[in-house]
Amino acid sequence: MSSFYKLGQMPIGLTVPAFAILLVVFGIPTVLLFLISLNAPDFSVTNYYAFFTQPANVRVLFQTIEVSLVATGICLIVGYPTAYLIVTASKSLRITLIALVIIPYLTSGLARTYAWIVILGDRGVINNLLLGLGLIQSPLPLIYNRMAVYIGMVHIMLPLMILPLVSAMMGIDRSFVAAARSMGAGPFTAFRRVFFPLSLPGVRSGSLLVFVFCLGFYITPAALGGLRDAMLSTFIAAQVKSSFDMSRIATAAFILLAVAIIVLSMVGLDLSGTQGRAANPVRKSWLARLSIIRNLKLYLSELPRPYRAKRWAAQLYQAGTASRWPQIIGRVFVVLVMVYLLFPGLIVVVMSFSAGAFLEFPPSGLSLQWYRSFFGDASWNGAAWTSVQIGVEVAILSTIVGTLAAFGLSRMGPGSRSFLTMIIITPITFPVIVVGIATYLGLIELGLIGSQTGIILAHSIGAIGIVVVIVSATLANFDRTLVQAAKSMRAGPLQTFMRVTLPLIRPGLIGGAVFAFLQSFDEAVITSLVGGLSVRTLPLKMLENMRNQIDPTIAAVASLLMLLPLLWIIVFYVLWWKSKAKAQNTLPAPAA
Amino acid sequence: MSYSLTRRRFMQATSSAVAVGALSSVSSRVSAQSSGQITAVLGGGDWGKANIEAYAKPFEAETGIKVIPITDDIPLGQLELMVKANNVTVDVAALAQGSGLLAAKKGILEKIDYSIYEPKNLNGIYDFAKQPFGIASLIYSYNMVYNTEVFPADKPRPLTWAEFWDVEKFPGVRTLVTGQYGSEGPWEEALLADGVPADQLYPMDIDRVFASLDKIKPHIRKWWGSGSEIQQMLHDKVIDIAQSYDGRALLLVDQGAPVEINRNQAKLQWDYWVVPKGSSNVQNAQKFIEFATRADRQAAFAQLFPEGPSNRNAFELIPDQVARKLPTHPDYMKNSVSTNGQWYNDVGPDGLSNTERLMQRWNEWILQ
Repeated sequence: MSSFYKLGQMPIGLTVPAFAILLVVFGIPTVLLFLISLNAPDFSVTNYYAFFTQPANVRVLFQTIEVSLVATGICLIVGYPTAYLIVTASKSLRITLIALVIIPYLTSGLARTYAWIVILGDRGVINNLLLGLGLIQSPLPLIYNRMAVYIGMVHIMLPLMILPLVSAMMGIDRSFVAAARSMGAGPFTAFRRVFFPLSLPGVRSGSLLVFVFCLGFYITPAALGGLRDAMLSTFIAAQVKSSFDMSRIATAAFILLAVAIIVLSMVGLDLSGTQGRAANPVRKSWLARLSIIRNLKLYLSELPRPYRAKRWAAQLYQAGTASRWPQIIGRVFVVLVMVYLLFPGLIVVVMSFSAGAFLEFPPSGLSLQWYRSFFGDASWNGAAWTSVQIGVEVAILSTIVGTLAAFGLSRMGPGSRSFLTMIIITPITFPVIVVGIATYLGLIELGLIGSQTGIILAHSIGAIGIVVVIVSATLANFDRTLVQAAKSMRAGPLQTFMRVTLPLIRPGLIGGAVFAFLQSFDEAVITSLVGGLSVRTLPLKMLENMRNQIDPTIAAVASLLMLLPLLWIIVFYVLWWKSKAKAQNTLPAPAA
Repeated sequence: MSYSLTRRRFMQATSSAVAVGALSSVSSRVSAQSSGQITAVLGGGDWGKANIEAYAKPFEAETGIKVIPITDDIPLGQLELMVKANNVTVDVAALAQGSGLLAAKKGILEKIDYSIYEPKNLNGIYDFAKQPFGIASLIYSYNMVYNTEVFPADKPRPLTWAEFWDVEKFPGVRTLVTGQYGSEGPWEEALLADGVPADQLYPMDIDRVFASLDKIKPHIRKWWGSGSEIQQMLHDKVIDIAQSYDGRALLLVDQGAPVEINRNQAKLQWDYWVVPKGSSNVQNAQKFIEFATRADRQAAFAQLFPEGPSNRNAFELIPDQVARKLPTHPDYMKNSVSTNGQWYNDVGPDGLSNTERLMQRWNEWILQ
């Protein structure tokens, strides 16, 4: 018992639960998967040889890389100016814009893909409009091609590019730019020589994040793409569905993983070498996710911060702008980006009130029947309830385990800390199909395929990573002397935790729990692999409905799901508001 | 096979301690299931609903055995996994013909207990529908379907697959089923279009299949992957002429959509009711399948969901107007071709089954 207690005292001991879950559900199976792909115990590379001698595999591998690269490129081209314009906007406008970017990020990915089918379809919103205006005679082929795949993928990925960029740009001291200008640099030179290099860490984080996510895509390309637009994940998923040949599946999964790792290490190493400024060793490529969450924090802490210095810089910058044209173009650009991000959601909401039995836009009449069909059908509301239950359990488990781990990590040296953090967040940095296959293997061995416990464990491995990242960010600002002060006044460890530590890190805990819930609630790929048939979550029910049914119930579900992000934003806002109120109450106290 | 050996060996060495904790949860679930209930995979959408109404609910009422319906499909890989991991959570499932034959070959299905069937019922069931491992649940077909606004009945329109392939004579937007899973695809149609007689389709010449598909490839708007997709496309009048499940097209006809079905050169396909090996409710599952293949139940089903009964006695109980909607109506049967599930599962000298061969060729072909 006492040795157990001692273990709990050691920083590494606190990380044990997190690593235990990670190892059993994900780590060991990943190693097994690798051994299977190598035909262990005989060890040979025949599976890899077989993979590469099939021309279709090689072509689809290159196509997967190509599609991911192009999607990442588009995200960067659209996302960078957007982020820049958000950062240079006035305070209230900036907060609104960030919220508008976060809403689609928190909206169900399935619902968003589905919205694009409705918009781009041959009798979709755009074609119907053009046909109705008499501008075209027959529908334009907007869907079932590569362009539609990019439109759908970029739509899902763009917030993941913009948020890290905004985060990085907000950290840039704008007086540097002002200084450059005062020394005679033109606006473009000042941007190119000063601002852009300083924003590179954000570019790197965002690009890596988007690229790796794209590698694992398969639902969106299958729904929006044409015959040719297959991704390696599509092949892997088809193999999982039609056969049980683990060695072939494992081989394809590891090849995909190898691509991800090669790109991650290349970009990560290369840029971090030139970025001497990177004061924070944790902010490495692997931790790209961190910056998103950070950004949320920044967004919250930004609200009360005095703003004078920056406004001065902004005024100085504006004074140098001879023409108002750039500003107008900038505004139009931001409006277009926001319309692109939010329009699909709006379409789905309107369609959910349709009176017809098919997906139509505009609806032939208005009714609430599809909401009634959702709330009245046990298979729908049952699936929703299952998802809520699983989500809450995932949130509880991963918040406890993840917070312990974050505490342990915060007391370690920077070297081991960043290494262990990197390991803990592998499940959210690997392509999702690889995580799904590995988890699937892990849960077979545990006999948990098709059980709620199994799904909770499968979702938790990713959720724990998210909690660790968010709570670590909170702990970074946590003043340890407060704990020492409490202890010096004879408070026990538990009392110190409950009375001092917990209240201070509560926003981080709640933020972590919310994101953990969301990670579970929206998960479709891993769940469809490990869920068996006995547990039906809402995303699985949505997928089933999309395959078999075409009534607008799914639009009603998607609309209800869109209410969620609004709810989350309110939660965050209330949290910030409370902590601000508290800060105002407590701050004057020492002065008095 | 080799995988399961290595898997076991490694797991014994690495994580046997972990597995112990999981066992308790499994056994508790099994004991909960054996109290007079079965879990049945009944398919999604309207098909699943009809299965529940025609089979599951009356079965519960007659036997008192509760049916827990799962309204989705079960992939063969998942079924195999359950059986191999000795964690069978499904007692009855409807499997496509090819998957059923393959599953039987892999030894993961229970044998059907024909001793509990009444002779009259058993004689009514088509011979091809009675297999040692399963009984056909329904018979459906892939048909050519017209948008009658583009191809009205009083004008010439394609009647055979050869004419469907003739894009000069019959211009129009076309769709065919995707071949990405190998077991389902426009293979037979491609051969018929190329002039192969209907009774000589098997063994299929795969090179000839793809040579024929090459000709139609540029004219296909979408290779559809699910029934809802083809239903939505026909409803939206995006497609002028399609290959479609008959049931999806019939639903549209009943809703008054300008859609008509061509029964010539229809391709018949069927599902089997099966019981996974290791099910904890085998006897109840056998009873369910016996119940669901009775003529009166299948007649009730056909009136909810227009697919063909596997028990021909059902036709005596089905009004003619409904019977004419079914792909197994005697008038249609003689102009239809049956898919040969056995051929799909035949394994060549390279160790690949024809299904795998088709899937591989498809993956190469789509990227060309």
